[in-house]
Amino acid sequence: MPKASARSTPVKLPPALGALADSVIEAKLPNGLRVRLLPNAGVPTCSYYTFFKVGARNERPGITGISHLFEHMMFNGAKKYGPGMFDKVLESNGGSSNAYTSNDLTVYYEDFMAEALETVIDLESDRMRSLAVTPKMLASERQVVMEERRLRVDNEIAGMMDEELGALVYKAHPYRWPVIGWMGDIENISREDCLDYFRTYYAPNNATIYVAGDFDPKQALAMIKKAYGNIKAGPPVPGVLDAEPEQKGERRANVHYPAQAHSLMIAWRGPKGDDPDTFVLDVVQYALSVGQSSRLNRKLVFELELAVGVSVDWTWRFDPGTFTVGLELKAGGDPAKAEAALYAELEKLAKDGLDARELEKAKNNLAGTLMRELATNSGRAHALGTYELMLGDWRRGLALPNAYERINSDDVKRVVAKYLGAERRNVVTLIPTNGVEA
Amino acid sequence: MSAALELRPLQLPPHEKRKLRNGLQLHLVPRGPLPLVAVRLVMRGGSVWDPIGRAGIANFAARLLRRGAGGRTADELSEAIDFVGAALGGYANEENVVLSLSCPSKHLEPMLELMGVLLLEPDFPESELELARRRTLAQLQNELDDPGALAERAWARAMWGDHPYGHETLGQKSSVEALSRADLVNFHRTRLGPVLAHLYVVGDINVDRITTVADRIFGQWTGGPQLAPRVPDWAGPERMGEVIIVDKPEQTQVQMRIGAAGVKRGHTDHFPLTVMNAVLGGGFTSRLIREIRVKRGLSYGASSSFDMMSNAGTFMVGSFTKTENINTLIDVALAEVKKMRAKGPTSLEANTMKRYISGLYPARLETNEALAGSIADVQHYGLPDDWITRYRDRINAVTAKEAARAAASHLFDKERVIVLVGNAQQLTPKVAKYGRVSVVKPDELG
Repeated sequence: MPKASARSTPVKLPPALGALADSVIEAKLPNGLRVRLLPNAGVPTCSYYTFFKVGARNERPGITGISHLFEHMMFNGAKKYGPGMFDKVLESNGGSSNAYTSNDLTVYYEDFMAEALETVIDLESDRMRSLAVTPKMLASERQVVMEERRLRVDNEIAGMMDEELGALVYKAHPYRWPVIGWMGDIENISREDCLDYFRTYYAPNNATIYVAGDFDPKQALAMIKKAYGNIKAGPPVPGVLDAEPEQKGERRANVHYPAQAHSLMIAWRGPKGDDPDTFVLDVVQYALSVGQSSRLNRKLVFELELAVGVSVDWTWRFDPGTFTVGLELKAGGDPAKAEAALYAELEKLAKDGLDARELEKAKNNLAGTLMRELATNSGRAHALGTYELMLGDWRRGLALPNAYERINSDDVKRVVAKYLGAERRNVVTLIPTNGVEA
Repeated sequence: MSAALELRPLQLPPHEKRKLRNGLQLHLVPRGPLPLVAVRLVMRGGSVWDPIGRAGIANFAARLLRRGAGGRTADELSEAIDFVGAALGGYANEENVVLSLSCPSKHLEPMLELMGVLLLEPDFPESELELARRRTLAQLQNELDDPGALAERAWARAMWGDHPYGHETLGQKSSVEALSRADLVNFHRTRLGPVLAHLYVVGDINVDRITTVADRIFGQWTGGPQLAPRVPDWAGPERMGEVIIVDKPEQTQVQMRIGAAGVKRGHTDHFPLTVMNAVLGGGFTSRLIREIRVKRGLSYGASSSFDMMSNAGTFMVGSFTKTENINTLIDVALAEVKKMRAKGPTSLEANTMKRYISGLYPARLETNEALAGSIADVQHYGLPDDWITRYRDRINAVTAKEAARAAASHLFDKERVIVLVGNAQQLTPKVAKYGRVSVVKPDELG
């Protein structure tokens, strides 16, 4: 992680993004808190994002899911604003809040009417400074999270399959367990675990704030300095070792559950988020799955009619993440045939790459996605924050269209051959147990 | 908390209305700075007007438009659309058929041309009809694995019965199996036309240029309905007082939906109801969240909502919990509705929610797509012209007393339906006290 993201790598920005880049104001407080301001008077609202560089990746067996459980605890009271007050104060000031936890990050955000900025700064700095973890709130929140797990994993087919997949792709790396954690761990995480976690990971030197919307940046920065300035920096955050061994052959797992049809999730371990090969896989992802004319949609959905739907997920992560293909089959559809058709498409890509028009199509769509993300205050703050955390500098994110522009068909061939081969794949099959043939 | 709230003005871009000679109404809203445009062609011909035995035809036909038009194949059309990073396609909801386009502004004109081809010259090729039929049937079947989707389907049937608002936009197995090419051609000829249609274009545009272009593309469009068809009146929930369980024996968690009659869109109580419902089950500080999630840890989520359409509306309370807790969940939900009906919100609660709703309202208009949608709603439901600009003022004018009166007149007393998705064997004895219980298998909702 770079010392300050304000390092000025000379990147050339596409014209439409230049004005946005010029408007960003950066600061770093003595306690290490990074602040990025994106003033824009388009609508009289603001979005306020706090990125903590901690997620399921920083956990260990026994306390899996603590990042996510902790994210819930952040809404349950601190010194100045007690239990229930965070949302009460925010909503009465014309705002709403939410948060999410990923493998790498925990992200808190508020959307609110512009007049409420000072209140939001007060609320957010209060819980960074003095979160209270009471036994009563922890007991109740634990039940809520267990119910969330029942919703998203235990009673949801995609959730069950995804959990199997993680444990298949990773043997040593913490990406092995689900972000929500194992049920037994959620039940047993202690208050001491939570307090220790807070001290280690929720210090200002592990946080980055993004504010986007209708506000005066000078005033905002002064308010942030005042509110956060006296929060003490924490010790350096312990690193995470990536001890994942090379995969030496295909791995398979089955999930048996009542269902109408078979389903497949197939994944390969890719490069790290800031590796140049990551952007090549972005292009591959789009060429395979975005739009009705994409390769997998054309082949598996419209031509062979094996799948009802096709998805490709390639989410950037700090350490090598997974390139995942999801195939929702038709009832009676043969999973072996679907797999074979997918692998044939990947072999074709590794051998012939993409033609010029397909390459350009993928690049057009990637640029379009980026542009649409930037259409709202919340989208701008979230996109730039994610780019900074993942790539070391938000400027690299805005310059992505240029990075994509340089990718050619040989890059595609090389990257598909390198990462998406038979020896490195992991396959989870959903086998319906209610009368459909296994 | 101060009662008077000073709001920064809402800066809306100009909204130009122009009418083509064939009756098509244009709504042009130039707005920067991003080089993006959202287009919506909204035609009053949604699934409520699907004939008996052909439920789902509006959505089916709308989705099929881009699978062959003007002699161009599905692959050729998809390639042209995807290449420039555009999204273009059709769908239907309850009351409208919509052709929707989002694209970079430099590609707007060729994409509008293509939209015109889809609208005016669809081929409905037999092979694509069969392909879409097989795919839709498979989608309908696979949806039976999703507890939330099952709950919504069972709820819609228990609420609407045979009323056309109960038509599932995707249709159902028997109706999708019965669709023919002649039905699609007939749908296109009789239910789509310029007189009742509105074209919304929001984003980085030049108003005069788009008027000329729209006239060239859509100016020759003729036919279709001249008068908006009426939606029949609704007598209230079909399975009043009953409990319907969709049996999924493998579930460890129960999905719960409580349903009752609501109000039409544009009802005079709209704003008091909006404030009242936010207090009951809207934001994260709502009574339902407090009682179900925060105090008792029963669930991850709980909410209430009014769904308002032109000629009827519904009210729903939704949540989920592990099977053992189902009675507590239902009891708490019913008690909260009862309490709200009897006493309404406190002034503090009402004031909090007024600020919550009005403070966030501008963010609901931030994207071109969202603004196009809001303007289209005003038009479709016949709401006042100042609906968007004065929305926050009207919310802020609501008093706790008015919200209480709205709760008393519109929240249910005993007239409700309960739908559960979960293990019927375990649930049946627990929920018999709420009304006559019937159990259905997921397949019966196919």
